[in-house]
This record gives sequence, C-alpha cells and structure tokens, in this order.
Amino acid sequence: MTEFLFFIEVVVGGLLAGTMYSLVALGFVLIYKASSTFNFAQGAMVFFAVLAFVGLMELGLPFVVAFFATVFLMFLVGYCTERLVLKPLMNQSEDTMLMATIGLGFVLEGLAQAAWGVEVRRLDLGIGDFPIPWIADSTGLFISALDLTAGTVSIAMIIGLSVLFKYTKMGLGLRAVADDAGAASSIGIPLKSIMLMVWTTAGIVALIAGMMWGARAGVQFALVDLALKALPVLIIGGFSSIPGAIVGGLIIGATEKVLEVYIGPYFGGAIEGWAPYVLAIFFLLYRPEGLFGEKIIRRV
Amino acid sequence: MTETSGNILEIEGIEVVYDNVIAAVHDVSLSVPRGKIVALLGGNGAGKSTTLKAISTMLASERGKVTRGTITYDGVPVKNQDPAVMVGLGMVQVLEGRRCFGHLTVEENIIAGAYSRKLSKSELKNELEKIYDYFKRLKERRKSQAGFTSGGEQQMIAVARAMMAKPKMLLLDEPSMGLAPQLVEEIFNIVRELNVKEGVSILLAEQNTNIALRNANYGYIIETGNVMLHGSAQDLLSDPKVKELYLGISKEGRKNFRDVLRAESH
Repeated sequence: MTEFLFFIEVVVGGLLAGTMYSLVALGFVLIYKASSTFNFAQGAMVFFAVLAFVGLMELGLPFVVAFFATVFLMFLVGYCTERLVLKPLMNQSEDTMLMATIGLGFVLEGLAQAAWGVEVRRLDLGIGDFPIPWIADSTGLFISALDLTAGTVSIAMIIGLSVLFKYTKMGLGLRAVADDAGAASSIGIPLKSIMLMVWTTAGIVALIAGMMWGARAGVQFALVDLALKALPVLIIGGFSSIPGAIVGGLIIGATEKVLEVYIGPYFGGAIEGWAPYVLAIFFLLYRPEGLFGEKIIRRV
Repeated sequence: MTETSGNILEIEGIEVVYDNVIAAVHDVSLSVPRGKIVALLGGNGAGKSTTLKAISTMLASERGKVTRGTITYDGVPVKNQDPAVMVGLGMVQVLEGRRCFGHLTVEENIIAGAYSRKLSKSELKNELEKIYDYFKRLKERRKSQAGFTSGGEQQMIAVARAMMAKPKMLLLDEPSMGLAPQLVEEIFNIVRELNVKEGVSILLAEQNTNIALRNANYGYIIETGNVMLHGSAQDLLSDPKVKELYLGISKEGRKNFRDVLRAESH
C-alpha cells in the first residue's frame, strides 16, 4: 500500500511540475502560431522577465506594482522586437527568423544581467515548497504547495488564453495570421498589431512561468536552459496547439519523474535530463505533428 | 462628369521589378470605370497577378516594387501603403489560389473579412446574412472547417470574405483556376450580381478569356508585361485575333500576339 501511495505521489508531483513545463511551452506556442518560428528567445524572456520583477521588488516596489511594471516592460520588449527585429526581417525565410530569435535571446540575457547583475536571487511568493498538511494528513500524500499553485495558475492561464483566442476579434485575427499571413493581410488584418499582441502575451506568460520556476529554483541564468525543456513538450503536444502544450507538459513531467524514480537507479540516476528527449524522438518517428498539432490539411 | 472622375482606378505606364532585378511588368496602363467589371487577360507569367498586387500594395510582401508609372485609386495615389490601409480605403484583393484559412470554419473565414470594420454583434450578423444571400452554398457549410471544403466552395469563401470588408473595388485573381466549368459559371454569376447590386467595381485577372469577357464590360490583353490590346468586351470577343489566340478558335495551333503582329508587319 505504501508502495502504491508512493507511486501516486511521484505521478502527482510529476504532473504538477509538468504544468510548469506547459507554462513555458505556452509562450513558444503563441509565437509559433503567429510567425511559424520556434522562438529561441523564449527562455531568455523567462529569465529577463522574472529578473526584472525581482529587481523591481528589491527597489522596494510592492508586489502588484512590480508585477504590472514588468508586464509593461514585456510590452516594450514586444514592441521593440516587432520594430527592430520582425519588421525588417518580414518576408525572410523561417530559418532567418529562427536565427534572429537566437540573437534576440542573447540580447535579452545580456540586458538582464547588465541591469540586475549575475548573482542568484531569491523570490519569495509566500508559498512554500513543502507538503500541504491537510492533504498529507487525510490521504498520506505529500504534495508541494508550490507545485499545486503552479498547476492551478498554469491551468487558469491556459483556459484564459484558449477562450481569448476562440472568442475575441484579436484571437480570430491571430488564428487567421497563423493559417495564412498573406491572405490575412489582404483582407486588412494588421500583422503589426497582431505580432505586438502575441509577443506581449508571450512576455506575460514568460513572467509567470519565471515566477513559478524562480520561486522553486532561485532566479538565475539556469532558467534559460530549463526553458528548453519545452522543446520535447512541444514535439509531443504539437507546436501550434495550446491544449497540446499543457498535455505535453503533463506527459513529460509525469514520465520523467516516474522514470527517474523507478528506472533511474539502473542508469546511475539523473535520467530526468534526457528521458524527455528520448520520448520526443519516438513522437517524431510515429506522430510528427504531435498529439494536438494541426494536421496539415491538403486537398487531393 | 469628366472622364477621370468616372474612373475608380487609373494606372499609367507602370513597371514592376522583383528583387531589384526581375521585371515582371514593363508598361501597363489601364483604367477601371466606377461600377464596371474590367478583365485583365493573358497567359501564365503575362504579369496579371503582379499588376493586381501592385494595385493592392501586396507586392511589398513579395519583395516587388513599382519602379515607374503611377497608380491612382479613388483619387489617392497608391505608393507604399500597407495593405490594411488600402482595405480601409475600400480596395480588397482576392489572391490567386483562394488562400482560405484552412483551420478556421467557413463562417470564421467570412467574419475575418470584416476585421477592418468596427461592427456591433447585430451589425455583423446582418452583414453575414447579406453575404449568405449571395453565397447560399456557404450557409449550409458554415460550421465546416474551410480546409475540407471543395475548391469551388473555397473560391466562394475567398470572395465572400473579401466582400465582408465592404469594398468599393474588388481585385479578383483567377477565380476560375482549377474549377469545373459549371462552378466557374456559378462564381461568375455571383460576381456579376455583386457588381450590380452592391455597385462594387471589379478588376479581374483571368486566363479563361471566354468567361471573363462574357461577364466584363471592358478587357485588356497583356503579354510579357505589356498591354497588347484593349477594348470593350464585345469588341474583343468578336476580334478575329483574340478569337484565334485566346478563345482557341484557331486553325494552326496557338500563337501569341507578338507573332501575329510580326507576321502582319511583314
């Protein structure tokens, strides 16, 4: 019985940690939808956003003020990106865009460190990374309060964004641009404002993901690499799908924990780092569009 | 009314160059009278699409540029405005190959056409109903994903979507492409109906000379980026050279205009 409880605990912990991957992946999906580019700068945006947030808090700003100031800052990042990177590169190949996002990533990392320094910061959200007592008492499961909060926040974000895209005019515009930017432009959908909206939203998602990760692991440069875990998440879930991002994140989160605990010892541990990529390779072989990726519609 | 103010669109001697080196249009002049249908005819690579994109300013997104001549739409010089600006002025292009938003439903596609307009929910509903009156077939399929509809339906979606922007002028690029004859007939009937009832002026690029001239008021024939011949649709339909070259009523296989003119000058 305790064996089984332990298994559940591992799975639940993995699922909740997985929602954090989902949150990061969500930022990638947004930008992939709008410009068919894997945004390598997303990790840097996570780092930049949360470091700015912590920096502003250290200046003595209250939590809420610092949060919205950072949101505004991410809007500015989106605006500058549209102006200085996307617009001049419009109509270039997707490879060019990809390279540009790598460059953008370096710029953001550099800016963040120049402004706020390189040391690891603590971020205290007031939610501890320890088991919730009443759940532990009633079921015997140890579930971290931070994990549970992150899971709830991620799910709320994902539902919110899905509703936004399905039912608002901007959302319709974004989905139209995602399908055919040229045709969208021909009927008067302003690509510029759609891009700005998408990059700002991706910036906000990055900030929230950064806050969750930062609260657990400290606000540090490693967040940039952690964000790349979103790659297997996206391969499994599908690059262009919001539900895909969440399910992909859950699968990765749960699988890597289960594998780590039960199979890890045979490999000398630390298989968490690479197991998701192995899973991703299987998906690439058997279901390359991912679980929820948009099937390529081709009339014959 | 003077001749000029009667034209919604005037093009004078434009040259269009792609990537700074490839000239796709050398010298094209044409005008579209307000409320009329004008056909732009010619084979593959004649410069029809390029001319349309120069007018709608979609050219910039393909690294093309108007290097000579002027385009005036409704009194406004067309330079390098954003396509969204042109849509705001009432000019909408239906791109070649339909280009529906495949993952959106038929209705979402059509609604997307009204993006540039500020409509309340009830206004939007009225506009939709008006569009469905013209495109009855689309009403039945409104919940289907556009990517899975037939070629004819997709062409209708593309035209319906453009009409939702409430254009004064519509640029249609090869609406007949790859469609069965009776569908082409159906689409041209709708286009003419839109022209008559909504008063929208139409410039139409077509390879299907016959159907285009039967539905247009005026026609221009272009080849290798130059206007070779123009006249009223009636005159062109009965012109022996047009008959021979573009309507497929020839004794000795297809030729182009250049060959005929050369033969005549000898």
